Amino acid sequence: MKKKSKLSLETKYVVLILSIIFIILIFVSVKYSATMSPIKTAVGTVITPMQKGINSIGRYVSDSLEQLQNINNLIEENKELKEKLSTIEYENKILQQDKYELDTLRGLYELDQKYADYPKVAATVISKDAGNWYNVFTIDKGSNDGLSVDMNVIAGNGLVGIITEVGHNYSKVRSIIDDSSEVTGMFLKSSETCFIKGNLELIDDGRINVEMINKDVKVNDGDEVVTSYISSKFLPGILIGYINDISMDSSNMTKSGYLTPAVDFKSLDIVLVITELKEALY
Amino acid sequence: MRRYLRYLIIFLIIIICFLLQTTFFQTFALAGVSPNLLIIIVVSIAYMGGKNQGIIIGLICGLLYDFIYSDVIGLYSLIYMFIGYINGFLNKIYYSDDFTMPIFIIGISDFIYGISVYIFEFLLRGKLNILFYIRRIILPETVYTLLISVILYKILHSINSKIETKEGEV
Repeated sequence: MKKKSKLSLETKYVVLILSIIFIILIFVSVKYSATMSPIKTAVGTVITPMQKGINSIGRYVSDSLEQLQNINNLIEENKELKEKLSTIEYENKILQQDKYELDTLRGLYELDQKYADYPKVAATVISKDAGNWYNVFTIDKGSNDGLSVDMNVIAGNGLVGIITEVGHNYSKVRSIIDDSSEVTGMFLKSSETCFIKGNLELIDDGRINVEMINKDVKVNDGDEVVTSYISSKFLPGILIGYINDISMDSSNMTKSGYLTPAVDFKSLDIVLVITELKEALY
Repeated sequence: MRRYLRYLIIFLIIIICFLLQTTFFQTFALAGVSPNLLIIIVVSIAYMGGKNQGIIIGLICGLLYDFIYSDVIGLYSLIYMFIGYINGFLNKIYYSDDFTMPIFIIGISDFIYGISVYIFEFLLRGKLNILFYIRRIILPETVYTLLISVILYKILHSINSKIETKEGEV
């Protein structure tokens, strides 16, 4: 057995002292969050490459399993898609004509196609929060690739979240469905603003809360909500999702509803980071 | 000097489990939750080794979690440290051949861990629907953790007894 058991301090005092230290540390890190970031970055720099390695093995295994399952489905799908393609080709031609018209009209209005012009960097999702309480994930690009805190993250055609922490080779992204996330949104049709809040209780429905809609605004189910101009961190005009189930609040002053995000958060693999900050734009 | 070998080995196990928890088990999440491997390590080490080891291992796990995923440094360290400390008392009733008791206390510890995370991170923000959180997150996580602990505790136990025989030789 151990010979060095005669410590000068009893264990309960050690626990007491450590608890006090940590409680102080909690307050310090809440108040001065910047002081802790060098340590966090150091730990993250070591752990992230390992996570990346394991994740690539895991992805390879699940991918090859999926491949086997999918072959039959693919043949059927291929047939359907071919039929679809012909109709879409026709629609595409009409759309091209419309686009030409749109461009000329835009020229008249002096509007830019802002959304497409943002410079973007692609990144892979490598790990998720170890607990089950938050929707925070890590991507494999960091300050070495020109990313910084508060950059917007999108996937496909919708908003995913925002970067909250950057290391040399990794960044942490808080998704909009996270319980502590808040985004100012805007209805595409009426330009009226609303607050979009993540909520863990709704996560199984694949929806999030929308609050503070002006009671006079006319909104219909399925209306598009985009990021608003007044947000200090989110670039304007990025699609967030579609609103539904709007109801009047008990105060009779505002309405609230639910939003279905445009992005499928369950199968998030590759995301795009917009390397332009809102502050730099204006 | 041999004592440090024990901590080195445990530290390696913690790193491996942490990596698995954040990558592998996130892909293979059941009912939307992933198991809490770190709590299995803390409770088993505290149960097999006593209060002092429980505190140290709890601290290492908590700090690792704090530095990588938490916005606030110290909260998870506190929770894990107390879980390690309290389970260290159960070292008095430790029997080498008993495999039900440790799994039982791992379940209880994970449940307490879930409740304390709820209290500090959600209740303080005014989210009162505790039944939902218990049903959706805490209970599934506890059940999944229990399933994994059946295997992981046996591995940890055999590693621990190997280290003990090595230490006994000196």
